[in-house]
Amino acid sequence: MTLPWDAATGDAIGATWLLAAIAPGGAFGRQARERERTFRRGDEARARERIALVDRAARELDDARLGALRAAIAAAPDPRAALLRASAGGVLGDVDFFELSRFLDSLGEVAALLAEGALPDLDVPAGGAALRATLAAGRTPARTFYLDDGFDPALAAVRSAFAAAQAAYDAARNRLVERVARQVGVDRVRDGEFVLMRDALSGPVPAGVRVLREAPTYFLCEIALDEAAVAALAARDAAAARVADAEEAVRAELSARVAEEAVELARACDVLGELDALCTRAQFARRYACTLPAIPLESRVSFTDARYLPLEETLGRHGRAYSPVSLELAGMGVVTGPNMGGKTAALRTLGFLAACVALGLPVPAAAAGVPLFDDIAWIGIGAEAADDGLLSAFGGEVVALRGFLERTGPRPLALVDEFARTTSPREGRALLIALLEALRERGALGLASTHLAGIAAAAGLPHFTSGGLRALEARDGPPLALEAALARIARAMDYRLTRVAEEAVPAADALALAEALGLAHDVIERARAELG
Amino acid sequence: MVGTSKNAGKSVVIRALAEALWRAGEAFGLCTIGRDGEAADALDGTPKPRFFLRPGTLLATPTSLVPRSPALEIVAVTPERSALGPIVLARVRAPGFVEIAGPPSSVALRRIAAALGEDGRFTLIDGAVDRIAALRDGDDAIVVATGAASAPTLGHAVDDVGALVARLRLPAYDAARPCVRVAGALTAAAAASFVRADERRQIVVRDATHVAFGGRAFTDVAARLDLRCERALRPVACTVAPLGIDRAFEPRAFARAVAERTGLPTFDVYAGTVAGPAAA
Repeated sequence: MTLPWDAATGDAIGATWLLAAIAPGGAFGRQARERERTFRRGDEARARERIALVDRAARELDDARLGALRAAIAAAPDPRAALLRASAGGVLGDVDFFELSRFLDSLGEVAALLAEGALPDLDVPAGGAALRATLAAGRTPARTFYLDDGFDPALAAVRSAFAAAQAAYDAARNRLVERVARQVGVDRVRDGEFVLMRDALSGPVPAGVRVLREAPTYFLCEIALDEAAVAALAARDAAAARVADAEEAVRAELSARVAEEAVELARACDVLGELDALCTRAQFARRYACTLPAIPLESRVSFTDARYLPLEETLGRHGRAYSPVSLELAGMGVVTGPNMGGKTAALRTLGFLAACVALGLPVPAAAAGVPLFDDIAWIGIGAEAADDGLLSAFGGEVVALRGFLERTGPRPLALVDEFARTTSPREGRALLIALLEALRERGALGLASTHLAGIAAAAGLPHFTSGGLRALEARDGPPLALEAALARIARAMDYRLTRVAEEAVPAADALALAEALGLAHDVIERARAELG
Repeated sequence: MVGTSKNAGKSVVIRALAEALWRAGEAFGLCTIGRDGEAADALDGTPKPRFFLRPGTLLATPTSLVPRSPALEIVAVTPERSALGPIVLARVRAPGFVEIAGPPSSVALRRIAAALGEDGRFTLIDGAVDRIAALRDGDDAIVVATGAASAPTLGHAVDDVGALVARLRLPAYDAARPCVRVAGALTAAAAASFVRADERRQIVVRDATHVAFGGRAFTDVAARLDLRCERALRPVACTVAPLGIDRAFEPRAFARAVAERTGLPTFDVYAGTVAGPAAA
């Protein structure tokens, strides 16, 4: 699957997490994913159709049925190599028939699960029923496969003849074995190579014993077949050859039946893969209460109560609630606000929703309109170019940005997280404004987070503020443990994204946050004094 | 089944056990760590006993070695793979010769042996000393094969099998006493440093396969150190193959010497005799 984002962006916007969350369960699904392409500009109609199908599957199939479908698909072995061989006139082996039977079982199971009123228009091939009935002659109650006599009455006849011939040969050989045992005075000699001690023999090695090797104190021997035993052996081998011919004839017949249905069954493999991908997405949509997004053609995004799921999951593990984000934006916008106020989370949420739509998924939001993009890029913190330590943080950001600007086409999704924060504020501000103007000229949609003042006004972009520290709960005593300190800050933080005047001065609660995180009191007080 | 060397007679013993189980009317499972049952050894071309298996036997072998005739009942295609393809579990429905091969890793062999042994079925594993990890803790029996092909003289062969059995019999460590745990394998160099330091604590390895030296070196070290393991094994018998390609040992003396050295019943399936504790 070719993705419209690079690895760093994938990590930053949670797309890597998302791809893992919708990883297919079986080989067919994995192959389907390899064939998949993400939706890009121009694919809006197909994306709407696809997401609608996922949404419908999520609503019409409950968790149990989705799980059963995925399990049935995952359990299905891949029959395509056998289908190819059968189509080319090859004679399949019993393992092939066993695996084909299992595949047909899975196909039947899938068809039954979908036949119960769910997704009636899903194009699951009904083929295979006739072949399944044919192969049923070889299925045991334990679902094993044997080239059973039921396939051809001739098999029973030749096998019965073989059993009789084997018994006759065993009897002839046993007579010889017992005779030799009597002659050498032991209860039984081994049917195979055996040792006769020289000092235990009163005369020469008995007739009917072939000496293979001589040692100073013993002979290594085996039973020599007499005429009757040789004849019985020849009859046994001839009977075995007739069994082999009859078995091969049945396999050839079965292989021809497989070849007749090969095209339809190969198509079924593809459909199972697509169904695996669909069920995985439907499970995702159900688990995270996703909704059907609108996919506008223009460069405009809107969402209400959207959730950045990787963070929501992490917070959940720590017993904390996630605050959903809402936004309406056309083109680029600037987000300011205090540290830990959700600026970066807002950028990630926008990128995550765009990734969901690109992957054909409903989105985790109460409502959303998210367009498709040819390029989604994370610029700034976390998107530094790999350089083996040759570049500074700023240098890494610039090199990564250069790559993005050189490759990107019109209307990318640009998520700029505190770009140029590690250089001088004056030049960093100038660079950020210039970057935003360049992005606007390219028709980019996106957000830029910054602590620098006046960026939105200078770039002529809408200004949002995220987060605001209300009064922290009063407390005395030693600094809280990190987990408790974070929970206290979260209770006091307003994470809503609000549009403010372009020239509004960004809120700054750095000292209050540092104090809440337990930084030494004297350091905080000196900082306050410094600020006057 | 493990052997002191290649051509120690493991496969002959497996074949004898298979025949005995069939005569006793007991269905059993059969698998191998290597490749067995082929007419000639794949490595050195020497003749090898093929497995003539009777109905009811459950075996594990790669897809490519499943015989066309007589047809086997295909029970499962396992996720384990060998160089010859995925490993299949199959049941013999008509008597015939079968070639079997196994996965390269102990972990995979253990899973296969577990699948074969479901329902309490007796399972034979044609194994190797360094694949003992395929056994369950203490539950499974180990039979040690030695033969004239394994050593230049009867005395050497007896020393080797004695050292191997002693190694397989490493006792479980005593948690109440001080010990030194060896991560990974106990090498000869590490053992020598323990000896030089006159180490009195228990030297604990994971199991006998984590002692990376055998023969007389092991016997000498075991006499000076308190070697122990976390996972004790259960060697129950030895077998002897008195005739090698280049030499022959006197069968009764060989079996007797092995039994005396190891204290285990020692079977000569060629001569149909047993020496040692079980002989009485």
